[in-house]
Amino acid sequence: MTEQKYKFLSTPRRPVEDRRFVAGRGKFIADLDRPNMLHVAPLASHYAAAVINGIDASAALAMPGVVDVITGAELAAAVQPLMNGLNTPNVRRFPLAVDRVRYAGEWVCAVVAESRALAEDALEKIIVDATPQPFILDAEAALLDTSAPVHPEHGSNLLLDRKFVWGPVDDDFDAAAHSLSFSVTWGRNSTVPIETFGVLAEWNGWDQMLDIWASIQMPKYADQIARSLDLPGNAIRVHYDVDVGGSYGVKRGIKHSVLVGYIARKLGCSVRLIEDRLENMRAGDAHGPERKFDITIAFDQDGTVRSMKMRALDNAGAYAGRAPFQLGKPISAIVGPYQINSVAYHALSVTTNKTVQEAVRGFGQAPTNYAIETAMDRVAEYLGMDRLALRQKNLIRKDQFPYLIPSGSYYDSGDYHAVVDKVLTAADYPAMLAERDRLRDAGMMAGIGIAACLEPSGGNSSFEPLLNQSNQTSTWMESCQVNIDALGKVTARIHTTSSGQGHETLVSTVLGEVMQIDPELIRITRPNSLESLPGNSPVGSRMAIMLGGAAARAGEKLKAKIMAIAAHRLGVAIDELRYEGGDVLANDGRRLAWDEMVELAHRQYHNLPDGMDPGLASFDIMQVPTGDALPVDDKVQMYPCYSFEFHLLLVSFDPIIGRPDIHSYFIGHDCGTVINPAIVSGMTYGGIAHGIGAALFEEFAYDTNGQLLTQSFLDYLMPSSHEVPAIQIVKHCTPSPHTVFGQKGSGESGYLGAPAAVSGAINDAVSGLGIHFEKLPIRMSAISDAIAAKTS
Amino acid sequence: MNIELNGSEQINTSPANLWESVIDPVVLQRAIPGCISMTETGKGQYQMTLELKVAAVGGSFEGAVSLSEMNPPDSCIITVSGSGTLGTGGGNATVAITEGDDGNALISYQAQGEVSGLVAGVGQRILMGVAKHLARQFFTALKKEFAAA
Repeated sequence: MTEQKYKFLSTPRRPVEDRRFVAGRGKFIADLDRPNMLHVAPLASHYAAAVINGIDASAALAMPGVVDVITGAELAAAVQPLMNGLNTPNVRRFPLAVDRVRYAGEWVCAVVAESRALAEDALEKIIVDATPQPFILDAEAALLDTSAPVHPEHGSNLLLDRKFVWGPVDDDFDAAAHSLSFSVTWGRNSTVPIETFGVLAEWNGWDQMLDIWASIQMPKYADQIARSLDLPGNAIRVHYDVDVGGSYGVKRGIKHSVLVGYIARKLGCSVRLIEDRLENMRAGDAHGPERKFDITIAFDQDGTVRSMKMRALDNAGAYAGRAPFQLGKPISAIVGPYQINSVAYHALSVTTNKTVQEAVRGFGQAPTNYAIETAMDRVAEYLGMDRLALRQKNLIRKDQFPYLIPSGSYYDSGDYHAVVDKVLTAADYPAMLAERDRLRDAGMMAGIGIAACLEPSGGNSSFEPLLNQSNQTSTWMESCQVNIDALGKVTARIHTTSSGQGHETLVSTVLGEVMQIDPELIRITRPNSLESLPGNSPVGSRMAIMLGGAAARAGEKLKAKIMAIAAHRLGVAIDELRYEGGDVLANDGRRLAWDEMVELAHRQYHNLPDGMDPGLASFDIMQVPTGDALPVDDKVQMYPCYSFEFHLLLVSFDPIIGRPDIHSYFIGHDCGTVINPAIVSGMTYGGIAHGIGAALFEEFAYDTNGQLLTQSFLDYLMPSSHEVPAIQIVKHCTPSPHTVFGQKGSGESGYLGAPAAVSGAINDAVSGLGIHFEKLPIRMSAISDAIAAKTS
Repeated sequence: MNIELNGSEQINTSPANLWESVIDPVVLQRAIPGCISMTETGKGQYQMTLELKVAAVGGSFEGAVSLSEMNPPDSCIITVSGSGTLGTGGGNATVAITEGDDGNALISYQAQGEVSGLVAGVGQRILMGVAKHLARQFFTALKKEFAAA
């Protein structure tokens, strides 16, 4: 298999980045100090909604070490509103609240001081005169005409309301023998990185340059700062050689960045803002989707699922941002891995007085997968059919690829049945069933969870033009530059920050494979935004496909130049040559060594082919495979590649205590050709842990007054090694036809199916009692209460 | 979050004496936990500064206190509102003073309040305990006023 085919790809190689991280030599935002750097502390709103009548900062300004206090009014007069993905011009968002606050914790003003401690002390002296206003927390309630709009100028709480019908939904429902309806809710959780967001801005008036260092993972970050601050794009220099301590989507501190950018420019200084944990949880504006699904599904007696109607209502929080687009990505895999002939989809996003939503791992796919997989379990339950057999019946077959789904995307490749079979074998499924029954006989509640789902990867952001017709984006390119120096060593540049994805490993491995050079000898640099080619940062599980693709193509271009130089030098046609380990061999046995060709390219112009430029450098700006068109008739090819995962686990718990114990966890994973096995496995392990958190523990819970209750790790519960079992990954490889090596995305793996699988296991455990848990997270209190209510 | 606190305490003095004490800013400043200053701004109206620490957060609290429906020496309603770094709070308490069998005062109270901001989230699980603790501190101090007299 791949072990034979590749020299460096798919081989167990230690990620390059590990060395500095393991040695504690990563360079994070908190490691950066600039001379005379100032610090910022934001003042948080106490109210879920209030009108700001006035802010008295005079006592704060009089304190030693305090340099300035910035209010929303000052900022709104000086900067443009932050980018809004939708056509909702009256839902305006600034880094600080302007005139009114819209959620508890929202930043009202910001103190700039010589130290963070002094800035925090000064916060106590600021007097905000505010009048509390009516507020709304529930998404369904926010839709009502009687509810106060979070943005009165916008007129309602509705941000997005789009209905799609793909295929003959009515006909399929008429023809189906049965239908059933249910609702499930995905609780508000997120990725909660250990490192909170931080940004450092420095203005140099003589150069007219704003330098930015940030713990960022954001497409078009420099552009957005420039637009907000009304600066030319080339006056913003974002430094990409900052390590980011975890993200999975949420490190998008654009409001923080515009705030410190403004302060740096106003005061002509260096200024840094690093969130503390409470700021991060309350007002980092990084909560994930909170989504209610109403589903009706049509199916036949034999288990064939024909059609689905899905209404998805998302609680976006107080401002729009890009959050509503998280209802868009799932359109690209709206039928999951199943042959469902038609779908009606109603996507709704509303504002409420909760913290702002941001992109989270999977960009809305994990909640939708949870809804689809719950539907499969319900259909099986209705028909009295085995849940596994129902899935196997409906899974797309190997011979059906490329498979066109109703919403317009072709799934590239896969062999879902083979992956399922492999997992059943690895897990010894009959023994797992027997163990479940043994646990039940012993008085425990025990259940098996099953989930199959897809990871759309490497795409254009085609959900943007699909949900907002004024958006004409049809590229989401990525780039790589490669240079071979005069001493023959290879250096590649990548144009983004990395938050643990291993981009240096990715590019060095890919280039090493293409150029047949040991990846250890290839240097990867991460310059700043002004020295970079266009790119879109690591989002949407795209970098193996897009950055790996660009690096491979840049390498191929260099190889072609080397071959041309060699052909000219040896006086033979290129097709009489072959490239081998950096040298070029002619059919007649002559060999031109790497160093000789480097010498020719760098010093001997007279020996180069006519018209060839000297030196050995190349670059590649790669367009998304398959992603070249705007939506037509509400359909679009959104992603080129679809990875498959199949989860199987056994859970048990005491019926009185209700604390789930995961006995065994298996995942079958097919993400095409794997570039670095350790990185892919790490993503999957972490993704499952993240998914267990979403299923059982993690939620940003609010009280009836709109106060966030779970704002520290005392209350926002994360799975630890006690809750995450040993996980067995069962690997399979179906290469994608659209990528340079057949690779697909894997950055969201595990998380996309684990919540559905864990929920399925809990529900299987209580199935004998007629209980359905319809909301995540399923807390142990909910489990024990539900059982007590049924059995007492 | 919402807080409710009910209780009654016996104080070793007459209802009339107790009444005079609980509307005396000097006594109140001594008895209210963390109270740094308490000034009368009008009839039954006070301005107060507190320094409190709840769970991991601590800070100062500026508040206004007003006494209404005063029915000396039997009952009144105390309304409190204010804000500080800890958050914003408000509430009211119905206070009734009756004479016990031994001639001493029995003070009973029914209070409800609402707390917003940092303290509502960070301290939610201990806030009731803190409220009870502060009430106990207050009455202990109040009893001391009359033990010394």
